[in-house]
Formats: sequence, C-alpha cells, structure tokens
Amino acid sequence: MVLLDDVLARLAEAKTCGYHQGSQMATEPAALTALALLAHRREKAALPLLHWLAGLQSTEGSIGISESQATPCWPTGWAILAWQAAQRSSIADPKFARAIERGVQWALSTQGELIESNSPQGHDTMILGWPWVAGTHSWLEPTAMNLLALEHSGHSDHPRARQAVEMLQDRLLVSGGCNYGNTIVFGQELLPHLEPTGLCLLGLHGVFDATGRIGRSVEYLLRELSGKTATISLSYGLLGLAAQDRLPAEADHWLGEAAARTLARDVSSYKLALVALASLGTSCPLIPQSAESRVK
Amino acid sequence: MTNPTTPLPSGELHRFDRRTWLIGAGATMGGLLTLPLIRNALQMTAPVFVARNQRYDGQLEQTIQDGLIATGLDPAGLRGKKVLLKPNLVEPSRRSPQMTTHPAVIVAAAEVFRKWGALVTVGEGPGHVRDTEMALDESGVQEALDSSKLKFDDLNYSEVGWLKNAGRKSPLKGMFFPQQVIEADLIVSMPKMKTHHWVGYTGALKNLYGVIPGVKYGWPKNVLHYAGIPQTIYDINASLPKIVAIVDGILAMEGDGPILGSAKPMGLLVIGTNSTAVDATLGRIMGFAPAKVGYLQLAANRLGPVKENCIEQVGEPWQSVASPFTVIDFPHLQELRASGVLVT
Repeated sequence: MVLLDDVLARLAEAKTCGYHQGSQMATEPAALTALALLAHRREKAALPLLHWLAGLQSTEGSIGISESQATPCWPTGWAILAWQAAQRSSIADPKFARAIERGVQWALSTQGELIESNSPQGHDTMILGWPWVAGTHSWLEPTAMNLLALEHSGHSDHPRARQAVEMLQDRLLVSGGCNYGNTIVFGQELLPHLEPTGLCLLGLHGVFDATGRIGRSVEYLLRELSGKTATISLSYGLLGLAAQDRLPAEADHWLGEAAARTLARDVSSYKLALVALASLGTSCPLIPQSAESRVK
Repeated sequence: MTNPTTPLPSGELHRFDRRTWLIGAGATMGGLLTLPLIRNALQMTAPVFVARNQRYDGQLEQTIQDGLIATGLDPAGLRGKKVLLKPNLVEPSRRSPQMTTHPAVIVAAAEVFRKWGALVTVGEGPGHVRDTEMALDESGVQEALDSSKLKFDDLNYSEVGWLKNAGRKSPLKGMFFPQQVIEADLIVSMPKMKTHHWVGYTGALKNLYGVIPGVKYGWPKNVLHYAGIPQTIYDINASLPKIVAIVDGILAMEGDGPILGSAKPMGLLVIGTNSTAVDATLGRIMGFAPAKVGYLQLAANRLGPVKENCIEQVGEPWQSVASPFTVIDFPHLQELRASGVLVT
C-alpha cells in the first residue's frame, strides 16, 4: 500500500492515540494502534501502549474507554487482542499474560440483557452477547469484539463464543449486510452499514452459512466499497472481506486513497491503525488463522 | 432497542429560569411555578415562527434570521458567544435526503450566527453509526463544512463531563455530555421534520439525543432507551439550558420514520426559542395531537407550552400549511393522531 510507511511512522510517533487528531488518548484507538504496530513489526513503538492499557485494567479485568472514564468497558476485547498479539511477538511479557487472563474472565462474566417480549423487532432478543454498556441489550459490535478476543485467547469452543457466532448470524439482514444490530422493526428491514458489516464478517470468518446471508453480505460490501469510502468503513469492510477470503483486487489502492485523505485531513490514530491493519489483508492478525470451519 | 412505551411518571416541576438567557421573549414563568394550582393558572407562552415556500437554494439565511428575531432571540447577546449547531445526521444515506438535516440549512444558520458575531461550530453524535466521517460524507454535510470553513465536533468521541439530571423524569441521576455541549453558550437544535415509529414524530427535543456521546452510551444509545425514551428526551432538554430550534421541514419524512420513511415535500422552516412550543407546532402541522405525545406531555408547561392558545404563531399560521403525515399502522402511533387514521 502506498503511504504505508508514512502511516506507520505517524502511528509510532503519535504522542496520543485518539479518535481524531488532537483528541484525548482513548483505549480503543490505543489498542488498535498497538495491534497495527505489532503486526508491522514495530514492537518497540507498541510497548508503551500495551503497558498503558495494562495500567488501566480494573481488578475485575475490564478496560474503560479512557484514563478518566473507567466505564463503559466495551473496549476490553480490543485490549485483550493487543496483549495477545504482544505475546506472539518479541515483547511477550508475563504481565500481559495476566492481563489477558483477567480480561477474559471479565468478558466471560459480562453479558447483555435478554429481552423476553413479543416486541416488533426481528432479531432474536434472547441470544447472549455483549452490550456497549452494562445493564443494556447485546449489540453486534461489542459482541464481535469480544468474540474475536475469546477466539484469539483459545476459547473458540466456549459456549459464549458459540453464542456470539449465533448472535452475529442472527443480526445479518436477509438481503445482506447488517447495521448496528437490529434487523427488522415494525415489519421493515433496516438499512445495512459498511462498518458493522465488516466487523461482523470478521467475527464470522470460517463460519458455514446455509442461509446465504454471509454471501449476500460479502456482495453488499463488494458493491458499496470504493476508494471514496470513509476510512473507518473502508477498513472494516476490507477486513471483513479478507476474513471471508473475498478481498477485491483494488483493496490496496483504495486503502492508499483513504490513507492520503486521513493524513491530509484528520491524522487520527484510530483511522490510521485501521488502515494499517486492513493493509495486511488475509494476514491481518485480527483474523484467526485456524482453517477449521465453524458450523452453527 | 427496548420497548419505548413506559408510564409517564409524575414529578416535580422543573425550574427553567436558566433557559431564558439570551432570549428576550417567550416562556418565562418557569421559576415561579412550584405548585400545581399555580401551574394550571399560569400557562407558559412562547412564539413560533413558520415560514412556507422555502427551498434549499432559496433565501434561507434571511428566513432564519427573521424567525429567530421574531421569536425573541437577541442578536446583541451573541457576540463572542459559542454557538453549537446540532443537525440530525442519525444514519445518513445519499439515497434518503429526507432523513437528515440539509447542509444548506446548516450553512445558512451558521452564517446568521456568524453575522451576529458568534463563534459557530457544528456538532453531532450520530446515534446509529460509529463512522462519523461516513455520516458527514453521506449527508453532504462535509462538503458544506469545507466550503463554509465550519468546524465540526464529533460528539460521539469528545471528552465528556457529567451534569446532574435537572429533569428527573428518568432514573438517571445525571448524564455525560460532550464538553463542547456543556461549554456552549447556545445550542441550536436543527432537526428534520420526521415521523418516528417509536414516539410519533421527532423534532427539536428528540434531536438532542444526538448530543449524548456514543462512546459512553453505545450505538444505539441504549442506556437512554432503558431509562425511558420520553423521560430521557425531557431530561436531556431540561439539563441543557439555552436551546433554540430551527427545523428543516423543506423536504420532510412521513411513514416509517425516522430512517425508512418516504419523502414529503413541505417547503417549511419552523423556528423558535422554545423547543417545546416548536415541537407542538410541528405536530399540529403533521396531523398529530401534541398533547398525546409522551415527551410533550412531560414537557408541557415545564419546558414550554404545548396548548395551541399558549403558542403565538408568527409568520404563517400552522393551519395554512398543515398536511397530515402518514404513519405506519400500529396502535401506539394511530392514537397520537389529531383525528382520523392515515397509514402508509
């Protein structure tokens, strides 16, 4: 990818990792930046971020959204993934192993609220997943994040991981793609969005799907993504396609365009980290490398 | 999303004396109304400005300026003040321009406040999408921001501060707001005129769900749903003083709003310095009975007037522009209609 060196240099030199240029340090961008730097063999640059995340971990194992906000704890899955990547690198550290263990314990003890009702919503409200905020319903993106964290931590067969796969499949729209997590409301199918669709397909890598909805979701991404797509949506979309082994030939070029826009407009660690991760295609460390198919 | 229909709690009257800051006319009796009998005797009043025959390529700046002044905003008080324009960019799609506030209305409002010497920023925390860059692209707002050199704040990811819940209709003791919202001298709620399949219709009051940061409350902002949609709409508006409203009703949405509804050309701008009065008027134009809408029941005479005889109509009378909006055929929506049944 053109500009990859620039992207990595910016990530390595960033004084803070935030959602936007100049914004405060936040745990999700920090974890994704650490993941990107580790994946591109910049271990030394990743190390302070990994320690910073470990320093924020609560005694229960969770990570809040920033240094000043210990809740909600939905970024915990990203932190587990970053520490896991460190353990596979030259900077492996028992401290990170302990952080992973505590993080997984927290994840397994956390769940979204089930809703027993005949509500006008099309999704199965009784499948266990993870919420954005404690005490609320399970939603697609935090469930995908925690599913990836469990898989990379050797818990693919845990009932919570299997339920998460079931939930992600349930949240796919019949016509393909998914949105933040509702499917049908008052009888009408909702609109798909690129970013959650990409993250969902990342979580559903290797899953056999007899309904055809994964295939239609892949087609949705292939139809909608382009070099003009906003950076975050493009990156997640391509990560989802990579996880389904359907990367388009133009992927690298599109990421280069997104990187150029981001470097010119909003030098955000969050966006640049996602570009750097997506640039790895099927080798991205977010994609578990197991060839075993997961059948629902 | 949880079922939004929860009983309306009774509660103390909210003090709203801070809301009159910058506003020379309008609802001004709040701080006095501490007894139900007095409240019933002394109804709040507020003006609402309705402009018809508006176009996105028309003289929006003039209309907005006229509307704000006619409803009591004092331009002299805005010099050097921070004004935050809050459009509705809930889930933008180029295929559905009826879903989000049109960029031309945002730019026109920005120019009005700039002309009055204010420091203008546009801010939004889209409720259904985490990728705010995508929301700005799809809505066409990014292009408008660039051409007008307007600063944008992504309210989903801003630093947050906690404010005590001044409304107390929901169980939330307080709420986290972006610092830009807390520090704003004036918030301009700029909703789209739309039906809403949970609460009937959405206007200036509901639009402020978009100032709640997703990073703290999720996508969707499910904490608010669990605490009660009408109640949290009320609480947010009660906790944030200094709000005015400019509603984009030029291309509106009917049917299965706020996302999947159909375009309904109305050619309207509805403006006011009291969001409750603005929303009540919107409802009447759309064929709803505002007094039946949950969040307006809570807001009535606490945040502003809902009764027709307490709202001074400036510009066009609402009756002359009224055109009933279709809603989906569910009882909780049909019962909100002023009269008759009109379904998609």
